[in-house]
Amino acid sequence: MKHFIKVVRAEAHKQFRNKIHNVWVVFSMLIWPILAFAAAYFQFKPFSFEAITEKVSYLNDESIITYIMIGYFAMVFFRSFVQSAWEFSSERIYGTLELIYLSPASRIAIILGNAIASLAINVWMFALFMTGIYILFNQVPLMNGAVLTLALAMMVLMSILWGMLLNALFLFTRDSGMLFTVLEEPMELFAGVKIPVQLFPLWAKGIGLAFPLTYVIKLLREVVFLGHNLAEVSALFYTCIFICTIMFVATVFILKWGERHNAITGDMALF
Amino acid sequence: MIEARNLKKTYHTKVKKGLFKREKDIVEAVKGIHLKLEKGQIIGLLGINGAGKTTTIKMLSTLIKATSGEILVDGVEINENPLKIKQKVNMIAGGERMIYWRLTGRENLWYYGQLYGIPDKVLKTRIDRLLTLVGLNEKQNVPVERYSKGMKQRLQIARGLINDPDYLFMDEPTLGLDAPIAREIRTYIKKLAIEEQKGILLTSHYINEVEALCDYIYILDHGEVILEGTAKTLSESTFETKITVLELAEMNSEIEASMQRFAVEENAIIHRSPDAYLIRFESKNELTEALVKRIHSENLPLSKLYVEAPKLEDTIIEISRRVNS
Repeated sequence: MKHFIKVVRAEAHKQFRNKIHNVWVVFSMLIWPILAFAAAYFQFKPFSFEAITEKVSYLNDESIITYIMIGYFAMVFFRSFVQSAWEFSSERIYGTLELIYLSPASRIAIILGNAIASLAINVWMFALFMTGIYILFNQVPLMNGAVLTLALAMMVLMSILWGMLLNALFLFTRDSGMLFTVLEEPMELFAGVKIPVQLFPLWAKGIGLAFPLTYVIKLLREVVFLGHNLAEVSALFYTCIFICTIMFVATVFILKWGERHNAITGDMALF
Repeated sequence: MIEARNLKKTYHTKVKKGLFKREKDIVEAVKGIHLKLEKGQIIGLLGINGAGKTTTIKMLSTLIKATSGEILVDGVEINENPLKIKQKVNMIAGGERMIYWRLTGRENLWYYGQLYGIPDKVLKTRIDRLLTLVGLNEKQNVPVERYSKGMKQRLQIARGLINDPDYLFMDEPTLGLDAPIAREIRTYIKKLAIEEQKGILLTSHYINEVEALCDYIYILDHGEVILEGTAKTLSESTFETKITVLELAEMNSEIEASMQRFAVEENAIIHRSPDAYLIRFESKNELTEALVKRIHSENLPLSKLYVEAPKLEDTIIEISRRVNS
């Protein structure tokens, strides 16, 4: 266990130092989410919410800013993992992946460390931004603090597991760059970051179900806007735990199978 | 000791035939290699055509699984306890990859040390010792991107020693380095084997490097060991003739005629050097004894007499010529 923690810490430190070599890099990470958030907000602003409110009771002129912000807040967590997993595949190019495989370090610890670094790098700025917006717009929605804390914890857990799963996929194959394309924009659209999933046709709802982000956003919005207690969101919580379990099992399986496969094909040095 | 017995590796690959069509292809990269590496010994792997050197190194270091055969590390089969084996081996490659450029030299060593679960105090002492060994003490807190090629390579060596391995696999460790730095690195490598008793497997395209460092050499061609031995025994088994060199203090037509007669008597070929006082005799046997007698009987002004061993480079060129023809 001590070795596991050492590896997580070392990997997180390495990734952090690799990515943050200049304080402006940190600030630049804030720019994209702010612009995307602002664009989404002003796209919605001119439209009437009457039709939407029929399907999503809590979405109206006043709540739209919080509604979109929650979507983007969760999105930043998940998106940062897609990007960091994609960047992690560069270990293959630099030859360092071979050295990681050469060592006795736990592979799970490596990808967990990478995921944690990504979380630390990308998320704090957006959290700061969100707090600022709340204060600015004086929007403090009715919510259950304890359940919100649990929901946020679930969001962190799910996003880390999502990151680990993607890392495992990116480590497994050198042709996984397409996953980046598939997961970036479609995740934003189908998980209901901007547009409520309730308004989607059935096929689009089906796609949305494939992204863990969909469940996290739903959970956060129900807690924030409807002030649901734990009993009311328990089904959603259990679903999230089930998805977490699937993601973890899949990660362990892909890592083990991938390393075995690479040892047979010798692909780990190829890029 | 690392011992590989009848090691084979076959790759099943897919070759693109157009946009959608792919054909299966089977490549036998290594075809039954036997080799041994003892602690304190440096062995060389030299390859001719697609020899299978890198595949062999990767199999020995646990990165690639052999299709068949056996690898024993200190008597333990490599697949029996790979985690234990990983603690005993490490790999150093030439070039500027395999280190993190934005991290400092010390941070790189610390990171790799953590991967091996080395206790913090031990790791700190070891990093200090390794930085001193490779002469990077003063630059330890400078990002690697500001290092010269030679410094990066020295850091690679320190990185390869971070887990204090018993066996090191070095793949072209002096690739692309200037001659003085390459010589410095060779000195480290020799030191590692002699003073630290590391077993080192070296591959290099610089044949002089292999000749200078290796106690034993394996020559691979198309995945097979076609010849093995020390540099001396390799050349002896490759070249059928021996070169005896005679250097005289003076030369005249009488001496020249005498040497011609000697060559005919001994069934040797004479190679005259641009240096008029130097004569090379190529024959099946060493001619030193016969030449000493002739020099004595004719009272010739001897300066030097020796048998010229062919360089490993000549041996490899000769083997390569035979293989390709």
